[in-house]
Amino acid sequence: MNLTSTNFYISVEQLNNLAISSIQGLTPALEWDENEHNFAILDCFEQSLRKSRRLLLAIDEQVELLTEEGVILSQHVKPNTRFVAEFEEGPVKKALADLSPLRALLTIASGTMKTGTLILTDDEEKTCARAKLQKLIPANGKAVVLVTPQGLRGYDQALSDLTTYIRTHGGTPLTAGNLYRMIDHSCVNYVSKPAIEIHPEETVFDTATNLIATYLPVVRANEYGVIHDLDTEFLHDYRVSLRKIRSVLSLLKGAYDVNQTLQLKMRFSALMAPTGALRDLDVYLLEQASFYTLVPHTMHAGLDAMFSLIADRRMEEQARLAAHLKTHRYKKEIKALVKLFSKKHKLKPGPNSSRASHDLACELIWKRYRKICRLAATINVATPDEEIHALRIECKKLRYLMEFFGIIFPQELFDSILKSLKQLQDSLGLFNDCSVQQLSLQSFVDGLSDEQHRFIITQSVGSLITILHQRQFAEREKIMNAFAHFSSDRIQRSFRTLCQNKKEL
Amino acid sequence: MQIVACYSNKGGVGKTATTVNLAYAFAASGRNTLLCDLDPQGASGFYFRIKPSQKLTEARFFEDAERFVKSIRGSDYDNLDILPANMNFRDFDIFLSHMKDTRSRLKKALKAVKNDYDVVLLDCPPNISILSENVFRAADAIVIPVIPTTLSQRTFEQLLEFFQQHDLSTKRIHAFFSMVQGAKTLHGEMIVELTRNYPKQIMAAKIPFASEIERMGITRAPVLATTPNSPAGKAYQALFDELIERI
Repeated sequence: MNLTSTNFYISVEQLNNLAISSIQGLTPALEWDENEHNFAILDCFEQSLRKSRRLLLAIDEQVELLTEEGVILSQHVKPNTRFVAEFEEGPVKKALADLSPLRALLTIASGTMKTGTLILTDDEEKTCARAKLQKLIPANGKAVVLVTPQGLRGYDQALSDLTTYIRTHGGTPLTAGNLYRMIDHSCVNYVSKPAIEIHPEETVFDTATNLIATYLPVVRANEYGVIHDLDTEFLHDYRVSLRKIRSVLSLLKGAYDVNQTLQLKMRFSALMAPTGALRDLDVYLLEQASFYTLVPHTMHAGLDAMFSLIADRRMEEQARLAAHLKTHRYKKEIKALVKLFSKKHKLKPGPNSSRASHDLACELIWKRYRKICRLAATINVATPDEEIHALRIECKKLRYLMEFFGIIFPQELFDSILKSLKQLQDSLGLFNDCSVQQLSLQSFVDGLSDEQHRFIITQSVGSLITILHQRQFAEREKIMNAFAHFSSDRIQRSFRTLCQNKKEL
Repeated sequence: MQIVACYSNKGGVGKTATTVNLAYAFAASGRNTLLCDLDPQGASGFYFRIKPSQKLTEARFFEDAERFVKSIRGSDYDNLDILPANMNFRDFDIFLSHMKDTRSRLKKALKAVKNDYDVVLLDCPPNISILSENVFRAADAIVIPVIPTTLSQRTFEQLLEFFQQHDLSTKRIHAFFSMVQGAKTLHGEMIVELTRNYPKQIMAAKIPFASEIERMGITRAPVLATTPNSPAGKAYQALFDELIERI
């Protein structure tokens, strides 16, 4: 049996040089198979696989996963499989269970592949070590060879010599370098939540401008995926980034001139507006499986009919949004905004623009926390949904504020507060989802004209709404518990320390 | 796990060539295979280009599971490992019993390196001794090459007698004709006679006297790896297929 060790990548030229001279007295030789294969390197948009030091290759109708430990897993895969969930059961699917199920596998590079072997033989021409070679020749980009040294039992020294030789002669361990960059220099590293450096003494104006200038490229990076409907996360990230920008404008009050702030808010809202309908439909479809588990089998036919209608509507809505993002008007507007925040000279300072960011952050976070405590103290079983919804919005604003300024606060204290806030938000989120879903299911049914299946859809939706209502009711209690923790003395003390003991920070 | 012993109480009958090709065929069929070269004059290791190890001569070798595992060498072929010759076989019976006992340290040591074997092939030395008796007891199959000559008939019958005298079941004997020369009348007559006398022990597959097999000394690789479509290659494949059916 062969033993596997580190995987490397190397340029074609450097590989050829490897085979020129002897390696610790062993003779190297390169052998290439005549057959060519099709290959594609697959990864999510955030390059989650590369960042977790793995490589996923589609080779003809197989997928091969090179794990961080150097193990190669493989299994059959149907052509055009885009999500891990669509894989047949197998070792690769199992090993990819940690990837977001919402993220599509995109092609980073594709082309033809040749396989071969680098063999080290002794003076008896006995093989003492080999390396499996996969020469990737992308349609666009630079060819590169994946090298997987394979030891033979009883020849540990030869394997160690071969591995060292590869490492010192141009081989980069797959877990250490960026293979994608080697193939294509322009390969972009997308981060949905970029880290932003804020200096405590930085002005409010600079902080707000930095934050917006950082989130705008995230908005732009997601356009392609939305237009080509690669997966639903593109639109989600697109909207989250826009929402964060709007929050900067509304939460960091006085960073810019009042009129300009108002105008900017309107411009960003206008960008957001055409995306809402598609996101709502996406959420429905993402919830599809869970809806089926909520109602009895007899109600499934109605859900089938409903989701088929929703899928049709989603297709129309997606086409509409894609067309919008391709218009000259949209492109001109987004480019103008990017320019405004990168050049800065047309941004007009507002009343708070020259204050230190840290001071304002402390003030805003403390005020917001107090407000949430006041609001939440009144919550009981009879509180109207709208009030809980208002509490949810306040929490979201606090969360954004804390995330914007997280970097300037002491890590440990900050994390413990954030954890408690997240727990509260999770409950509020579930509560709100149940509430929103009931309303939107109701309006969906109301909006049905004489469409076919109207009766069975109404019946199934009725049953669904009842269950969602029960769920929402149960969630109310959890919110009260989560809040009790969030407003406890300990968390209050933490917030006070964070926001008021400025000298200690 | 199955233990298959290749044995002949007469030298020069193509025993090692058979072991090497059967080992290759077992491995190529996807079975994780270990070939143990027990014949000090044999050349199983030589055919796989593996240098004999001097470290393996110490007496209590087979009691030391880790040392045993360390001395196994990977061949150039998938699923096929070799335990080279040059060792002391005094405790070989202990080794065999350990090989069969799932609780033994040897088994655990093999499992620890993810290398438990489906098949262990033994290239046995050509004499009847304590070692061979132990091998006969432990093996699931004893493969015996027989050249179709009167002399070989006598040694084959001696072996059957040995089995009977020592209360060993002859059911595990799988003999076949080796180095068969079609042109020789004597060979043809001996094949007919022996097959008639020992129908249960003698297999149908026959290995011809072929230059490819002689050339193994130069190619230092199994015929099945270098010329699988030659008459000798096809004959070894047929022998393997028949053996698999029988065991």
